[in-house]
Amino acid sequence: MNVLSEMEIDALTEVFNVGAGRAALTLSEIIGEEVMLSVPSLKVLNASEVSPAVLAVRDGQFATVSQMFTGPFNAEAVLLFTENYALEIVREMMGSQMSIDDLAEFEQEAMSELGNIILNASLSAMADMLGITLNSSLPHYSISSRQDIADRFAGNGGDGSYILVLHIDLVLQKHHTEGHLIFLLSSTSLNKLIAHVQRYLDTIL
Amino acid sequence: MQAPILPKNLLIVDDSKVSRMLIKAHILAAQPDWIIHEAGTGDDALRMVGEQAPDYCTMDVNMPGMLGTEAAEKILGQYPAIRIVIFSANIQEAVQSRAQQMGALFVSKPVTGKTISQAISYFTETV
Amino acid sequence: MSSNVSHEFSTAQVVNNVNLGLIVVAQELQVVLWNDWMSRHSGIVREQALQQNIVTLFGGQLTPGFLRGLNNALNYGLPSLLSSALHRSPLPLYVEHDGSKAASRMPQSIIMSVLHSAETGAPSCLIQVSDSSTSVKREKMLMSHSDAFKRDAITDALTGIYNRRFFDENYLLAVRHASRHRSKLSLFMIDIDYFKPYNDRYGHIQGDKTLQLVASTLRAQMRHPLDICARYGGEEFILLSPGLAEEQATGLAERLRSSIAELAIPHETSPTATHVTVSVGVQTWIPDQAGEISSLLKGVDEAMYHAKKLGRNQVVVKK
Repeated sequence: MNVLSEMEIDALTEVFNVGAGRAALTLSEIIGEEVMLSVPSLKVLNASEVSPAVLAVRDGQFATVSQMFTGPFNAEAVLLFTENYALEIVREMMGSQMSIDDLAEFEQEAMSELGNIILNASLSAMADMLGITLNSSLPHYSISSRQDIADRFAGNGGDGSYILVLHIDLVLQKHHTEGHLIFLLSSTSLNKLIAHVQRYLDTIL
Repeated sequence: MQAPILPKNLLIVDDSKVSRMLIKAHILAAQPDWIIHEAGTGDDALRMVGEQAPDYCTMDVNMPGMLGTEAAEKILGQYPAIRIVIFSANIQEAVQSRAQQMGALFVSKPVTGKTISQAISYFTETV
Repeated sequence: MSSNVSHEFSTAQVVNNVNLGLIVVAQELQVVLWNDWMSRHSGIVREQALQQNIVTLFGGQLTPGFLRGLNNALNYGLPSLLSSALHRSPLPLYVEHDGSKAASRMPQSIIMSVLHSAETGAPSCLIQVSDSSTSVKREKMLMSHSDAFKRDAITDALTGIYNRRFFDENYLLAVRHASRHRSKLSLFMIDIDYFKPYNDRYGHIQGDKTLQLVASTLRAQMRHPLDICARYGGEEFILLSPGLAEEQATGLAERLRSSIAELAIPHETSPTATHVTVSVGVQTWIPDQAGEISSLLKGVDEAMYHAKKLGRNQVVVKK
């Protein structure tokens, strides 16, 4: 079932790519080197379709950073990386001189900030391009298993809720990592988002 | 009697159809007589430059296959008279310098009336 | 809780007694709240700060990260974090010292959130600053940010990979971690075959280039973010990798050997081959198996020497 048309998905992907560009700039200022960040794909799923396989997440532990958004519509955004990738990202962000124990201690802080940077950048792009302004909570960090994550998305709001799944590619200091950015929305919120995207497309068509 | 002025040809390169339509709409609003061509990848762009010989080109960076910066360099290598604007969401220093070094103009996304005006000024300025 | 009409204390008392810096910046960037903690640690008293533009107040020393946080809050209504992990000390704040020691710059954790005026809805930015210089680990982290000194102390000058000192320190930590968490740990000892004859035949400058190439090739074989590759001795390298099964460790050891052989660096005076080769010793410590983890280092050393005795350019796995 296609909830969003091809053009709507294209437009949203563009919005998130502008966000990715902004986040990459912020990260490159922290690391002092060029960062590649892109959003190659986006899909919309009904919460009832969610399973670990559908989310294309591998087995193991995951580092998650989430923020709640309220305003013209509500959503929860979750940034997801495998714990291995999270540690690698933290090492690249902090300078690879860290020992294992030290990395683990700073994982929470550094990942919370990374999540905050990516989410803020996505939202500023949504504000500039789609005219959407949302209030946001501070980032919340936790470690979950693959099943926990699927349960969280599937069980949210019962029937009629949707998730937007974005695949993220991140290259730091020539190390390639990937993750997911997931938005959970009720059907009312999704409709409002679509309305904004439609208004944006109307200016072109 | 004035000699007829040939309309300019613009090639828009971007893997997002929405972006191409957006750029096209803004350009035609300012320059209704220009002829617009479109390509979705760096490879297609190279092919079309050979076929259509455009005067101007807008180029996205992050595309499947060849990066836009690479495609732009190749195009300028073969057709140095083409004016290229690198339109990108990747706004880091490195991309901006690369654009400058190859003799292209860098304009950051999102595509807006203002950023399109910058591109048009660059295309049409008499050297 | 109503804003300032408690019988025991006022809001202002609370604001000025918390062990945190509190600043509120209004939409036009003017400071509208500045607590005592801020006065103490910035050297700027409240009277000087109020109604000043925050950028000019800090003499143009604000970092891009801090400015972006302000922009996010005031123009987009978005909250930001400036973790002490990624930003050393965004604001010019100092830790007081007793006695004659000079004040040192304070490492900080900053949270920037958004407040909306009840009347106008206009946004302002609430900035909370806390001192994060508490733990010993924090000190180690700060040192890792300082480029020159620390980098030289833990990397090998010639090859640029970690040096023996860094390895020794981290090896102990990895061993403790593996014992405590009952996880596997693999160790690899790699020695360039007939390196002295190589130096004699091709000269020390070429010898150095080869060492650099071997080091970067070995390092490129690492897959896991927690793997460590270091230069252990003159022509000796050591590699640590947690979480591998024995077969995987053997596979990695073979990849280490073959990646060097594939470089095909000419070595006329090697009895083993026409190019530069390495001998590799590998051992994996598995929890609940017989054997102390402390014997790991000795084990790989023995395995590597065994590989030499067997003719070099090969891998020996210590069981």
